[in-house]
Amino acid sequence: MRTTLTCAALMLALGSGPALAQSGEITIWSWNIAASSLKATIEGFNKKYPDIKVTVQDLGNQPTYDKSIAGCAAGGVGLPDIVSIENGEAENYWSQFPDCFVDLHTLGYTAEDQKKFPDFKRTELEVGDKAYAMPWDSGPVAVFYRRDFYEKAGVDPAAIKTWDDFIAAGKKIQAANPGVSMTNADFNGDTEFFRMISNEQGCGYFAEDGQSITVAEPKCVDAMTKVKEMKDAGIVSSADWSTKITNNTAGTVASQVYGGWYEGTIRTESPKESGKWGVYLMPSLTADGPRAANLGGSSLAITSASKNKEAAYAYLKYTLETNEGQITMLKDFGLVPSLISALEDPYVAQPQPYWGDQPVWKDILATLPKVVPSRGTQFQSDAEIILRAVQTKYLANGYPDAKAALDDAAKQIAAATGLPVK
Amino acid sequence: MRTQNATAYRFLTPYLLVFAIFWIWPIISSFLISFQATRTVPWRFAPTFNWGRLVGDPAFYNALKNTLLILVIQVPVMIALAIVMAVLLNSPLLKARGLYRFAFFAPVVVGEVAYSAVFRLMFSLDFGIINKLLESVGLEKIDWFSNVTPAMAVIMIAVTWRWAGYNAIIILAGLQSIPEDVYEAATLDRVSKLKQFFYITLPLLKPVIVFCAVLSIIGTMQLFTEPFLITERGGPGGGTETLGLLLYRQGFRSLNFGYASAVAYTMAGLAIAITLVQLWLTREPK
Repeated sequence: MRTTLTCAALMLALGSGPALAQSGEITIWSWNIAASSLKATIEGFNKKYPDIKVTVQDLGNQPTYDKSIAGCAAGGVGLPDIVSIENGEAENYWSQFPDCFVDLHTLGYTAEDQKKFPDFKRTELEVGDKAYAMPWDSGPVAVFYRRDFYEKAGVDPAAIKTWDDFIAAGKKIQAANPGVSMTNADFNGDTEFFRMISNEQGCGYFAEDGQSITVAEPKCVDAMTKVKEMKDAGIVSSADWSTKITNNTAGTVASQVYGGWYEGTIRTESPKESGKWGVYLMPSLTADGPRAANLGGSSLAITSASKNKEAAYAYLKYTLETNEGQITMLKDFGLVPSLISALEDPYVAQPQPYWGDQPVWKDILATLPKVVPSRGTQFQSDAEIILRAVQTKYLANGYPDAKAALDDAAKQIAAATGLPVK
Repeated sequence: MRTQNATAYRFLTPYLLVFAIFWIWPIISSFLISFQATRTVPWRFAPTFNWGRLVGDPAFYNALKNTLLILVIQVPVMIALAIVMAVLLNSPLLKARGLYRFAFFAPVVVGEVAYSAVFRLMFSLDFGIINKLLESVGLEKIDWFSNVTPAMAVIMIAVTWRWAGYNAIIILAGLQSIPEDVYEAATLDRVSKLKQFFYITLPLLKPVIVFCAVLSIIGTMQLFTEPFLITERGGPGGGTETLGLLLYRQGFRSLNFGYASAVAYTMAGLAIAITLVQLWLTREPK
């Protein structure tokens, strides 16, 4: 009798198990700070799901893509349960490997869930009636600056409203602080300044419907012109991702212009400079122009090869769709939430000790609603490479002006993608 | 005879199977893929889609130009350097020859990723030892990675550093196979050392030098690691993008497998063409 009862209880427990107490192991591929922030959410997640073991592998940005592509091309062999994908790159994956990722709707992702995220984060993740990934962080652009260098030159960051102000301030700061550059740009392998300023001005590589090329439109031309003016004024020295970090720590740069996620990089990579850094809004082209843009930001997708799709989805729901998960990542590593409700969290309004008690998140996140969507399309990496080549040539005076440079870029993108130039 | 052959082939079957699956099939398959439009699923047959693009693609001509530029400048410089190193290594005046031989050969043993990382650090704008050296002798520091010409120079310096010693060792072996009595006879005829080098050493070394040149040219045609790691994926703005990088970028970044296959076949065609020209130029006179 006793044994039958135990058996019955056991069967009951097993039968009602999956919905509440899932178990299994899931693995996630990610990079740098983003990977660290995912690791930070595991503790809270395991309080709700103690039997799901989460392993985050920090492969680095490029290797994550390389290995994901190899895995998808091989029909899912060797893929983890969850992969990180930057929004700009995302469409390329869905169009080439539509079967490699799970449509989240099949796991319970409803229209109501979708509405919790802003539209500009979702356009690239949803194709037709399928949702291939859940929005993770976004990259509202801000200027991170060294208070001491600005003060020494008598520059008030609040007075910097235009990029011309930024150039003038840069000259003063460099004169007052020998060996310090106003800012860094990766002229070797990126076009971050062009992308930030053109997005601020409402211009992108492609039209919002993804059907035509808009990179030679006047606002993009203005952005490119300004990048060259900054370089020619000598206030930008070139530095790639890791050199920027070295500069931050060595005190050889006065400002970095990047997406909000860079907060965590400065704070965790340069801990000794606590209190010296501050944040102000990105300048515009005109004194009353827009001062919000988005750079980067990622999403998480579940692979079809996953053996624990439900567990993986439970992790996404906790980490990305609850304030608790999103604020943990913001707090520990400065990953800016895409979840709209997280922006109302009390933590956002708090002064931050590292940033000289400035409530940086309030300032940075206030720009999010003003960000103009900029569609990556599946041709993003083609266009980006062309833009890098054109930018390099333009900065070396290879074109008469920015218009000629971007016309050439548009022509090349058209040849590579078959899309018309608008 | 027949049955003997059959037995041989039966023994060869395991290898032939592996060869067919992992070599022959991909070669055929990629050739077929190069005729398909692969930007959207399902792929469709469109012969001019990739090959037509290749003919007019500035990125392709840029990569081709870069590859040929490295070929034309770096390979001759490296071979010349290797010959000089080999002759010096062969000098009877040299002490601790084994040590030098090892030192020249050592760069090949170093992992590609490790040496690339070190080169990147050495040429770093603000913290690199090269710029510190330039500044210490009163020269302007150079922004190596943001300008096309210096970035190209870094690639050539790196490749030369890595492979010159390797070629020198091969040429040294060639030098040591030249019989001593030829030189003795020349010395008796009062031929100067310099003339001996140009009229005896170089002609007798020709087969070895050609061998080194062929190897180096094929290596350069496929150059990938250095521009991938040292100049960050062929930067700045494609300034050091080689054909190998273009192939990788199209295939594995843009996921455009058809175009990548077309580029791969063009590379193979070029390598064959260059090798044929070389063999013809260096053919033995009949």
